[in-house]
Amino acid sequence: MNPQFRLSTRQFPKVAILFAIAAIIAIGLAPLLTHRIDLQTQDLLAGGDTTVVNRTSLAFSQPAPNLTDKEVKLHKEGDRGFGDTFVTAPAPVNAGLGPMFNNSSCTACHIHDGRGMPTKGSLLVRVSLPPSQSNLAGQLTAANSGNNLHQSSLFESQAEASVSLGNAPPVPGLGTQLQDQAIYGLKPKATVEINWHEKTAVYEDGTPYQLRSPLIDIILPNGKPLPPGILTSARVPPPVFGHGLLEAIPEGDILALADPQDKNNDGISGKPNRVWDVRQKKLVLGRFGLKANNPNLFQQNAAAYVNDMGVTNPLFPEKNDTSEIDLKTLNAVTFYTQTLSVPGRTLINDPTTQKGEQLFTQANCAACHIASIKTGKHPVKAVANQSIYPYTDLLLHNMGEGLADGRPDFEASGSEWRTAPLWGLGLTQTVLPYSGYLHDGRARTLEEAILWHGGEAERSKEIFRTMAKTDRTALVQFLNSL
Amino acid sequence: MGSQIRFPLTINLLGLTLVLASMVSGCGASGSSSQAISPGASGTTLAVAGSSATTVRFNPQILRNFVDNVVVPSNNQFAQRADVLSGAIAAFTKAPNAQTLKNAQSAWVKARAAWEQTECFGFGPAESLGYDGSLDTWPINETDLKALIKSSDKLTAASVEKLKETEKGFHVMEYLLFGTDKSRQAKDLTPRELELLPLLGADFAQNANRLADAWSKGVEGKPAYRTVMATAGSSGNAAYPTVQAGAAQIIEGMLGSLGEVADEKIGKALEKKDSKLAESRFSFNTLTDIKHNVMGSQNAYIGTFADAKATSLGISSYVAQVNPALDQKIKQQFEAALTALDKVPEPFEKSISDPKATASIKAAQEAVNTLQNTLEKDVKPLLKSV
Repeated sequence: MNPQFRLSTRQFPKVAILFAIAAIIAIGLAPLLTHRIDLQTQDLLAGGDTTVVNRTSLAFSQPAPNLTDKEVKLHKEGDRGFGDTFVTAPAPVNAGLGPMFNNSSCTACHIHDGRGMPTKGSLLVRVSLPPSQSNLAGQLTAANSGNNLHQSSLFESQAEASVSLGNAPPVPGLGTQLQDQAIYGLKPKATVEINWHEKTAVYEDGTPYQLRSPLIDIILPNGKPLPPGILTSARVPPPVFGHGLLEAIPEGDILALADPQDKNNDGISGKPNRVWDVRQKKLVLGRFGLKANNPNLFQQNAAAYVNDMGVTNPLFPEKNDTSEIDLKTLNAVTFYTQTLSVPGRTLINDPTTQKGEQLFTQANCAACHIASIKTGKHPVKAVANQSIYPYTDLLLHNMGEGLADGRPDFEASGSEWRTAPLWGLGLTQTVLPYSGYLHDGRARTLEEAILWHGGEAERSKEIFRTMAKTDRTALVQFLNSL
Repeated sequence: MGSQIRFPLTINLLGLTLVLASMVSGCGASGSSSQAISPGASGTTLAVAGSSATTVRFNPQILRNFVDNVVVPSNNQFAQRADVLSGAIAAFTKAPNAQTLKNAQSAWVKARAAWEQTECFGFGPAESLGYDGSLDTWPINETDLKALIKSSDKLTAASVEKLKETEKGFHVMEYLLFGTDKSRQAKDLTPRELELLPLLGADFAQNANRLADAWSKGVEGKPAYRTVMATAGSSGNAAYPTVQAGAAQIIEGMLGSLGEVADEKIGKALEKKDSKLAESRFSFNTLTDIKHNVMGSQNAYIGTFADAKATSLGISSYVAQVNPALDQKIKQQFEAALTALDKVPEPFEKSISDPKATASIKAAQEAVNTLQNTLEKDVKPLLKSV
């Protein structure tokens, strides 16, 4: 401050008031000026040109606004396919359900293209035998069940898309997924019952909180429980919007984020999954699924048709190469999942939201939930070359024992999960009230979801746990603004 | 709900500050995309074509009115008619004759009319708690249903509750009450069908009542869902953190329902000329379903419900204040859509493949599309900046 600047006591109140007003304006303007660019890009255009501002129950169900008329038509056709309810053959419409299935339409699980609930029909359980001892790549068991002798001898009645690098061998008689429903006259593979185990813990400020974890009871058709030693993993369906953009992120850019040996010593590794591409018949980068165990949306959708609904398709056909849906339908539904828009954010001008964003970064959440990334080339022009804000690196991270399912999936270990994209997170309860967070829907609130983080995220979790209540509230409000 | 929800002054100030900041920095928001999604920056001031800028405040009472005068009474009416249907089915199966069957069929049609009017607000607990699927899944699983009827499996309330969604609800009852071409007579029903029907009716009524309760009272330890929408924009409401989101929910629900009518219920059937794609094909009720969908959206727009005597206050009131001509246009387009649907010859299920009826079906589809476009292009932008 200028030492010559002096105020007489008489002038002081007037100048002080003016100064205060100027200060308030300056303080008010400064973040706005620096944040203005963000408001138009990062904060609002979460999905680049595919963004739609829609904060309603249909927020995840909007076609990207940058589709051509022809593409909108294909998107709508895919939308109908995504909504089609399958029934037991023979039937005049939508025949092909089962014989074993978890649910009978895509939307029945991905309700309004969002999450599902941890309840029957929505929650599914993957199973496998403990990993074999020898090296993984040499143990590739199959590309798919259609040409997999090992599998087809187990499942005379149903094709199942099961690919494993030998570390998730199918369970004889059960395969790799427990379909807990069956068409009339057949018994489902198992009945699955979920009970919740509650535990109490406390924030640093002494406020107690409850966490629940699922206890999954699996009963086989013979009335006996699943033998001990079989690995199980319960999952709820994740949202499906914005996936075309994730598919369009250049592989090199994802790999550049990886640090499997943690060479930079920040406690965060980040490991790409390498998974089997059924069409290309080779190992490629995994992007989709809770452990990034699917390489692309075509395969992800085809596997969901056959595994979740028992509907054979051109990628996973019947033994005689026929299928219950045709390539046109599979392509349309794939296009639909590639071209759902990303919802734009809300309450971004709110200072609490902005403070929450800073806290999110300070707590190092953004080390894995990477805010921004660019997409590259993609056959669907609408998703190509976009600046997007998905809050994920699409890499695997060790999330600690609390969240571990103990079931490996390709290169993902039993305690590794793919960083979940956070875009649209604040719409979870708008789209599907009462739904949960994390891979099995155990977290009833965003606070619980954060508090479950362990492993590489333990330190970030601790920062949150020891924050003042107002800071915790701000951080959660930021998440709700996504 | 004593306090009025007002748009926080700070938001308006921030909006204003933002404009100033843009001018100072010399690079004001440019490009239509950033303006189109400007969040609340324009406050409540709306520029109306043909007049000077008008300031109209969006009355949050519109949201409360929507839940209390439209959603809750519509769901209650449906629950009450589901009870009547369940009772009529029980009376029919106890004493199957032409009259009791006719009563049950007519109760089905009435329940259907009430349900189809709720379609544009079928969000929230209807989906989360599985009621929508249990009440109204299409198509039915005829193969499994026939096998179940043929079997000697024990039929109980508990076993029916566990049936797949494609083996219960509206369309399974429709199939059993009307037959596949509305020619069913009381004597056609087998003893097993007569045993199954009342269980389906009771399961149906139970789900209908739970849905109504989920909105008005709350179920499974959860608060009444009416509160979630009615308090849109108040602090702590994570589902609808802004009044805009609440207002948008009403419009999006209407658009979703009208889109389904135009693209699927009419569109798909017309495209394939196949009556098997008509939703209520067993009872020849598809066209009536569609009309009630449109009426449901009309209720949501005006903010009233057929039998409600309360003064209506709805999205319509807001639009009328901002742009009276637009409000009139929308009201007329609702009437035009319903009139066009009335001109489609019944049964719709046969008209689909009748070349003489094609023009009238296309005209009805067009009328619904026109309404949809007006809501999308003219009303949605208004509500983005309330």
